[in-house]
Amino acid sequence: MTTQIKEAAPLGKIIVITSGKGGVGKTTSAAAISAGLAKLGHKTVVIDFDVGLRNLDMIMGCERRVVFDFINVIQGDAKLRQALIKDKRLDTLSILPTSQTRDKDALTMEGVEAVLEELKQEFDYIICDSPAGIERGAQLAMYFADEAVVVTNPEVSSVRDSDRVLGLLASKTRRAESGSEEPVKAQVLLTRHDQGRIDRGEMMTVEDVLDILAVPLLGIIPESQAVLRASNVGTPIILDEPSDASRAYQDTVPRLTGEEVEMRIGNERKAGLFQRLFGRSA
Amino acid sequence: MPGQQTDGRSGRASVAARPFQVRGRFITAIALRLETESLDEGFYALLDEQLRSAPQLLLDAPLLLDLGKVPDLTDASQLRGLLEELRARKLHVFGVENASDAQRPLAKELGLIPVLVGRDAPVEKTGGDRRRKIEKLLPPENILLTEPVRSGQVVVAERGDLTVIGSVSSGAELVASGNIHVYGTLRGRAFAGVYGDETARIFCQRQAAELLAIAGIYRTSESIGDDMRDQCLQVFLKDDGLKLEAVT
Repeated sequence: MTTQIKEAAPLGKIIVITSGKGGVGKTTSAAAISAGLAKLGHKTVVIDFDVGLRNLDMIMGCERRVVFDFINVIQGDAKLRQALIKDKRLDTLSILPTSQTRDKDALTMEGVEAVLEELKQEFDYIICDSPAGIERGAQLAMYFADEAVVVTNPEVSSVRDSDRVLGLLASKTRRAESGSEEPVKAQVLLTRHDQGRIDRGEMMTVEDVLDILAVPLLGIIPESQAVLRASNVGTPIILDEPSDASRAYQDTVPRLTGEEVEMRIGNERKAGLFQRLFGRSA
Repeated sequence: MPGQQTDGRSGRASVAARPFQVRGRFITAIALRLETESLDEGFYALLDEQLRSAPQLLLDAPLLLDLGKVPDLTDASQLRGLLEELRARKLHVFGVENASDAQRPLAKELGLIPVLVGRDAPVEKTGGDRRRKIEKLLPPENILLTEPVRSGQVVVAERGDLTVIGSVSSGAELVASGNIHVYGTLRGRAFAGVYGDETARIFCQRQAAELLAIAGIYRTSESIGDDMRDQCLQVFLKDDGLKLEAVT
């Protein structure tokens, strides 16, 4: 009997980062989550589905290394291996950029499926960064997903759009259509959370959001200047210098792999400190 | 959906006092398309034969004359003769469609309405009444949902009640021929008794609806009022108005 250690087959789990509404932090979250998973040692690839509005590669800081893209692979002009960009900071992380010159019609169901199947043979996590909206691009990004991270801001229009997307995840995906498989596991990632504005009644509370969406909470990311700075320099926030937001993503990522990490709100500690300073005088 | 809104905020029962109500109505009409301009005995003989073979289909039904294929039939006496012959056969001609410019004034003269809208629908086979009766005898097909109903989703209970265990988001729609039950927060729209069942009711554990309707009579969140918000309540029709009542 041989006791040869065989390398475990990759997990091949497809996670879509989606929201419906634009500007809520999908691409930031996709970059942070994929970098976070890679940092934990999982072989991870992140795919930009936002054809024509290529952003992910900039946030990942690899825009100058793009030669072939997702669309080239789908149309058979390039091999997947040629289009995948290895991250310079983490060797477990790859990026599959999209095309800036094409539009979403260049995506085909068969093409997307073939690329995802090939990636599943090699990667543990395949993160799909969905475009905003609920049209073709967004639907293709979610169609083959095993799990979904629904990025939501604590305000009514974002929550309503997320709710719409949750409805699509439950009906317009491969898992939903097969009927026999488990439905897509969807979780909410609450971004741009601002406790001060919530206290002033300008934003919805976490409880209100979860009451409407009725799916588990994956994490709470505080509003932070660090996010903009990190994306401007092309570093996923999680690899950037410590900040509220990067800490929050660091808490969030292990939850995706099934680990239990206590939920904390970014500036909670600060509030605690203030309470200690001023709370006793009364 | 034809509907009429009762003014929930005015103090008096305005609906009961009003001497009339304006209601939308969709009706199905039968169109008789003339294929020939020679309205001779052969034409009427074939028409009589058709009437004999399917009397339920044509008798007492509102009937439109389709003149699309006979634009040159502009003789007033010929048209009047046709009308008399048809009415003698108990066919209730009320209008014309696809009338040419020359035909339109003639039709008006004869008291026929020139109908501009409308489209073809498959003509119901004879025995439509019977099928409707059979449908009534069929057991109701109630729908039970155990997942929340999301924004943009529409759930229809064609024949029976609709029960949702979970919340109904704003932008979602529930439609039922019978009652609607929501064990959760109703934030979307609910249409009960859509085929005219005025005894249908809507029940919800927490009311924050955009619109509530029973048998076509509706109220929007604005006219529901804030005092009924977040309440556990039932909605029903009384005196042709939509009543909301707390369930205790």
